[in-house]
Amino acid sequence: MREVATSLILVAIALVVSFRNKLGLEKDLVLATVRAMIQLVIVAALIDLVFEESPVAAGLILLMAGIAAWTSARRMKGVPGAFEVALTSIVLSSGVAMVVMFGTEAFPFEPRWLIPIGGILIGNCMNATSLAGSRLRDEIVDKTLEVEARLALGVSAKEALKPYARRSATTGLIPIIDATKNVGIIVLPGAFVGMILGGASPREAAEVQLVVLFMLLGAVAIAGMVTTILVARRFIGAGERVLPPKSVG
Amino acid sequence: MTSLPTDVLVAEKVSLTRGGIRVLHDIDAVFERNEVSTVVGPSGSGKTSLLRCLNRLEEPEEGRVLLDAADIRSVEPTALRRRVGMIFQVPLLFSGDVRSNLRYGLDGLDDQKLVRALEASGLPASFLDRDAQALSVGQAQRACIARALVRDPEVLLMDEPTSSLDKDASARIESLIGSLVADGLTIVLVTHDLGQAKRVGSRALLLVEGTVVASGTPADVEERWPEGVT
Repeated sequence: MREVATSLILVAIALVVSFRNKLGLEKDLVLATVRAMIQLVIVAALIDLVFEESPVAAGLILLMAGIAAWTSARRMKGVPGAFEVALTSIVLSSGVAMVVMFGTEAFPFEPRWLIPIGGILIGNCMNATSLAGSRLRDEIVDKTLEVEARLALGVSAKEALKPYARRSATTGLIPIIDATKNVGIIVLPGAFVGMILGGASPREAAEVQLVVLFMLLGAVAIAGMVTTILVARRFIGAGERVLPPKSVG
Repeated sequence: MTSLPTDVLVAEKVSLTRGGIRVLHDIDAVFERNEVSTVVGPSGSGKTSLLRCLNRLEEPEEGRVLLDAADIRSVEPTALRRRVGMIFQVPLLFSGDVRSNLRYGLDGLDDQKLVRALEASGLPASFLDRDAQALSVGQAQRACIARALVRDPEVLLMDEPTSSLDKDASARIESLIGSLVADGLTIVLVTHDLGQAKRVGSRALLLVEGTVVASGTPADVEERWPEGVT
């Protein structure tokens, strides 16, 4: 508690700066500080409960996947059945990664590990799903004439969509590839910083961070591929036709 | 010995609705083998929609299209589109060289066949290695025609193929249409230019607001062209 009280001195400094310079941020600063304290106290109590009760932990993972799918589906507006596409992609990709990581005992199969690892996986797979799905939708809208030129040459709709699906899957992978390439150079990632602050040695922290990054690379690659396959299928109509989205936004 | 029917493509009572609007009403049309049949009419009359029904880029909700007396829905769509090729208003070549464009979707084609298709389209063999994106619009349209010819089509659907070309390039495409028919191809040409229909077509179908208003020779349908409409 003493550390929290000490850190509030910095909030007080921010309040003085705002007041003296007439920035008008005092109300927002106070509100943000109070909200953060209340929210984190509640979350800490919930996580305590979740860490003790495995069924609650499993329920939380499913809830996280559902919310992630809903968020991705909103980004993929115009894709028929966007929620089902996003849910399938996120559950499949993060599920495969969890089975591998927990099945091989790379991480202990306990709620204390399951929740944060599941959260990282679901969050990253959600981003990849949103990026790949919305990109493919946009490509099909923007390149309708090009897609039809391909169809008119006698290739299947799946084949005609291949170049766009490939580009879209790549889009979903770029953030994690860049993060992996630049790890330790531009930013120190969350798991690494968290472990160092928690008292682990830098070597231990680096090992866990590498495991997390490699796990994410695999999961996100699956999410990108599954999303583009499913989205492409949603736009293929009878008679090897590609039906562009009706509304995009 | 059985002879092939003279009508290669037939549309029977074809109706199409797009976005809640009926764009084609009960279209009956016959396109004869080894001829240039033109589909003419003012802008928005449904010419392109009719053309797209002939290779199943559109599915009419009523009526049917026959290719050599068989309903095209009974033909595998990819095979149908190789038999009934299509040239679009704007030439669309994919990134890469002309060779990769001609070979798109086809395995094991030798250069000899590609060169034959290029030459039939009025382009020299040296174009095979040219960057497809660096061609002039006229050259690109010819490369698109070559890309369709490589698939040995029986019918070529051409949707306003000269609308983005200058006068000289248009004249060359019109002359090319004549030579393709002489080589045994059947062509269905959509154009809003009645003069072009008269120059290259032996038959014409006049569409106005999605309905067939007249059919016959291009000169016959000219009399029925709606007044004050271009």
